[in-house]
Amino acid sequence: MELLLQQVMTGLATGSVYGLVALAIVLIYRSTDVINFAQGQMAMFTTFFAWMLLDGSVLGHHIHPMQFWIAFTLTLVFASIMGALLERIVIRPVEGRPILTIVIVTLGLFAIFENLATWSWGGIPKAFPPPPEIHVSGITFFGDGALDIGPTVISYHDLTIMLVAVGIMIALYAFFQYTPVGLAMRGTAQNSVAARLMGIRVGNMLTLGWALSALVGAVGGMLIAPLVLLQPPMMMGVLLYAFAAAVLGGMDSAPGAVVGGLILGIVENLVGTYTAKEYIHVDWFGPELKLTAALLVIVLVLLVRPTGLFGRRTLRRV
Amino acid sequence: MTRRRVIGFALLAFFLLYWIPFSHIFPDWVPFQLGSYRIFQATTIAMWAVVALGLNLLTGYNGQISLGHGAFVAIGAYTSAILMSDYGWDNNWLFCCLTIPVGGLITGAVGFLVGVPALRLTGPYLAVATLALAMSTPQILYKYEGLTHGSQGINVTLPPLPGVVDSVLNQTQWLYFLALAIAIIMAIVAWNIVRSRLGRAFVAIRDSEIAAQAMGISVPRFKTMAFAISAFFAGVCGAVYVQIIGFVSPQSFGVLQSINYLTTVVVGGLASILGSILGAAAYVLVPEINGLLEQLHLPATDQAPGVIYGASLVLVMIFMPYGLAGSMHRLGKMKIPLVRQNLSDFARQIGLGGSGPRAGSSAAAPAPPKDAHPPRPPDGEKDSDSS
Repeated sequence: MELLLQQVMTGLATGSVYGLVALAIVLIYRSTDVINFAQGQMAMFTTFFAWMLLDGSVLGHHIHPMQFWIAFTLTLVFASIMGALLERIVIRPVEGRPILTIVIVTLGLFAIFENLATWSWGGIPKAFPPPPEIHVSGITFFGDGALDIGPTVISYHDLTIMLVAVGIMIALYAFFQYTPVGLAMRGTAQNSVAARLMGIRVGNMLTLGWALSALVGAVGGMLIAPLVLLQPPMMMGVLLYAFAAAVLGGMDSAPGAVVGGLILGIVENLVGTYTAKEYIHVDWFGPELKLTAALLVIVLVLLVRPTGLFGRRTLRRV
Repeated sequence: MTRRRVIGFALLAFFLLYWIPFSHIFPDWVPFQLGSYRIFQATTIAMWAVVALGLNLLTGYNGQISLGHGAFVAIGAYTSAILMSDYGWDNNWLFCCLTIPVGGLITGAVGFLVGVPALRLTGPYLAVATLALAMSTPQILYKYEGLTHGSQGINVTLPPLPGVVDSVLNQTQWLYFLALAIAIIMAIVAWNIVRSRLGRAFVAIRDSEIAAQAMGISVPRFKTMAFAISAFFAGVCGAVYVQIIGFVSPQSFGVLQSINYLTTVVVGGLASILGSILGAAAYVLVPEINGLLEQLHLPATDQAPGVIYGASLVLVMIFMPYGLAGSMHRLGKMKIPLVRQNLSDFARQIGLGGSGPRAGSSAAAPAPPKDAHPPRPPDGEKDSDSS
């Protein structure tokens, strides 16, 4: 039982990472109808930007190393500007084209970011410092320690990632539900022609959607980097899981993305643990196939609910 | 056949049958020679063209996105490699060639099985479900090492060529002709599928499933058939891969490989036979840019081709909406004012051009001059997404 709880806890921790990146994907999909395959690479690129500021070597020039939270904030600014510029320069010209065209453009961005990062910073993995500890009313966030919850243990870093994922989700929900800009963005996503007729600047909303999503991706990248080492392909695995998570939850549902990520993380962990030789005595299955099993679960869910767990079924007029 | 066509085919035949394979042996008839490395490249182009043709039938003509074709190529390749290494099909060149249709058929059967659940999924959901297939492929190949030899992969040795051929061709040239013959056969097959009842049903389903159903087309039947045929092409490509490379391992069939197949098809031109071939050529030849950079004394790094490949994906999609093949169709009609129009459209879209309407308000923009949007290529293009 303790093992089960511990594995569920670990699954929740990895799952919240998937959920965070899935959230960024869903955000762009909902507001602009684009599936962004470059999401992970954009996050990696911005994380390298943060690493430069923290390390104090900007492409060969030496600067004074910055404090974590200053670098963090600057990176968020950098990420949102980058996201906005990408939308303006690269995505705007293909707006309204078939979905495949746009998918290929984002795959192009994927290749550009991955190779540019290797070119600028090399392929050697770099240690990315975890955020320093923060004490808020007696509770420690970040840092090295671990928290005992009943019979299980969870590291502060994992706990923080989970809290950040939930926090971002709540903030986004509030933004979309209760602010005029959020309302305008939802309107744009639902019917851009009607939104334009109501006086909403649709182009600006799309740009804002990309900026927001790049920002969420950057947060994800900086939180994941201490766990997996900073290197150009670091987001590849996470990105694929995040896609699966986004689809599992339903591509148009932000809570679905997080829930999908958590389910994926837990299933993967449990399958990895309980299919080991001491639990099942078969040759044809084992922990090596945990990813396959997790993906199989997703495909099975999709067969029952073709638009994901929380996705809305869209009706189309013929 | 018009005279222009005859000349065109003769030139193509001269290029494919003499210039590529033999010009370094009999160099006198052409201005420059292509070495054995170029022959190998031409072989790989022919090989990738086969999988691109199959994927184009599925995605371009039938409108089903697949990011999992690497899995199908892997099945074809492993079928061929296992038959050759474990069942002794490598002692006779005829059996070697026979592994190609066998690999194709087995893969086609698997494709049919994948096509059945795919019926329920569309758009991003189908893309991710097939992506899942591509992601699990290497792990499954590692796990069942009794069959697949696990991480060490399978080496195959090609048998000696038949006597007559052996005296004329070396191994590289023989493989080139093998791949070329198969690519031509498969292109003809694809061409005939597209122009038959089957192909018209595919296109009708892509354009509107409901309308197709109303016309009496069985949507599930033709959609699974599209998957099976597409997988057959991929399996053939995989089996040819084994003959050419002589080695398969789980690393040969990663996720990126699967994604590359889709980019190949879209860059070449969706719903276009020629596009699949052009896309495959672009995919093989883009890494050559490094050599070009070196000649121009520009910094050539390992990453430069990747950056250029990514940038060219973006640029092709922005400026050539129907891919390379679509642009080929338009090339004859291309005029300078049109190029300028395209560029100024682009500038306006990203908010640079001063005189045009503001970015983002293109719906309210006055109708552009008529030649700003040239007619569609005859093959058409997937028009609205099915998500």
